[in-house]
Amino acid sequence: MSEYEPKLVCFSCKFSWGYLVDEDALSSKIDNWVPLICTGKIDAAHMLEAFKAGADGVLILGCPEGDCHYQDGNYEAKKRVYLIRRLLEAVGIEKERIRIELSIDPEGRRIVKLVEAMRQELAKLGPAKTSPVRERKPEQPIATRGGK
Amino acid sequence: MAKPKTVICWLGSCGGCDEAVVDMNEVLLRVAAAVDIVLWPVAMDFKYDSIKRMKNGEIVLSVVNGHVRNSEQEEIAKLLREKSQLVLAFGACACLGGTPGLANLATKEDIFNWVYRDAPTVVNPNGNYPQATSSVNGKTLTLPEFYDRVYALNDIIDVDYYLPGCPPPPYSVMYAVNAVLEDKLPPKGSTLAPHRALCDSCKRNKSKPDRLSIKEIRRIHEVEADPDTCFLAQGIICLGPATRDGCGEACMNINLPCRGCFGPVEGVEDSGAKFISAMASILDAESDEEVAAVVDQFIDPAGYLYRFSVPASILQKSRVGKQTTQQRGAK
Repeated sequence: MSEYEPKLVCFSCKFSWGYLVDEDALSSKIDNWVPLICTGKIDAAHMLEAFKAGADGVLILGCPEGDCHYQDGNYEAKKRVYLIRRLLEAVGIEKERIRIELSIDPEGRRIVKLVEAMRQELAKLGPAKTSPVRERKPEQPIATRGGK
Repeated sequence: MAKPKTVICWLGSCGGCDEAVVDMNEVLLRVAAAVDIVLWPVAMDFKYDSIKRMKNGEIVLSVVNGHVRNSEQEEIAKLLREKSQLVLAFGACACLGGTPGLANLATKEDIFNWVYRDAPTVVNPNGNYPQATSSVNGKTLTLPEFYDRVYALNDIIDVDYYLPGCPPPPYSVMYAVNAVLEDKLPPKGSTLAPHRALCDSCKRNKSKPDRLSIKEIRRIHEVEADPDTCFLAQGIICLGPATRDGCGEACMNINLPCRGCFGPVEGVEDSGAKFISAMASILDAESDEEVAAVVDQFIDPAGYLYRFSVPASILQKSRVGKQTTQQRGAK
């Protein structure tokens, strides 16, 4: 499937990303861009909802470490993403489908680049593949099949 | 006036839900006096054919427990739906897919290979696998078809009410039965249990510090948990914050953390995701390494967070998850 176009949802915090430029103008360059106030607001359910709504990947752009307007929203988001990645791996979905970057870019130029870069990575990944669960050989001893 | 016809039926079930009905003890006699039970495979000898002969809507209430994973279960679910005015999804399996739903993390092929070929106790030199149809001495024999995945009841039929739990406690069963008999039912689609989270009624709630922080995840069998202190405060993962109240704290009372059999609280679709959000905010870690060090102690997150709800989870319904499942299911 050469014409496979991965869909990406990008959440970004308005306190660090693209706040100097016109949101509408920037929005026209980025599909499925959700600027919001504080990445700490993004519930793990929102991340999974994006997949349910048809996304192939989720990119979260938060404020630099130590720079959250609300103390620690970006850390909260980072911890959630880490947990969600563990969960995705556990159910057999590549963890690379969700990532978070903590940085600053008032002009929003990097948002476009980061989205494009991740889209290319997703394209390489292709639609979700067979899971590690499947690839686990039944010949393995019971102890490892049933968890530690 | 004729007594309202009632069905108690199991699909893919362990029988624990039927046991919960029997656990109503002498109250069951009052229920039996008030209703006319026309089908209860576990306890009474009625035939499915007699249900097939009934008019549509003749049964007032069908209490259905268990998940759907084969064609027979699907057929019975659809039959009961057609003949019943109300269908109550009873227990975690019917409401959310239940523990058998964990099988959705493996493929049908994996399951068959293990059960009929690779398990150490299996002797199957001819490599026989169950077939939906097979021919013996010129006669055709049939078995129900084993589906690729486990379904919750509302994936298969329209469900009017839900009563979760593994199994639902007897008093909530009585509450549900009374609500039907006295016609005091909440709006269609409601779950017949409180709307809030288990923590709201948990006796250990008072012992919770103002700000919970987990530096280390401990597993319940590795430590001696204090019977009066909040499990999360002890670093033991307890799904109480993201799980519906109404179970009567059966697990808490025997010093076990909540495992989530009552499913998500009202208005929440996926309790696992909600718990991840809650858990992230109480993890006492900042750098990537610290977060990894704590979270990596969490063994089998999918199994723990979705012990009763894989088939009802968002990921199971998402495109990404579906493709995974379908490809896994394909031969």
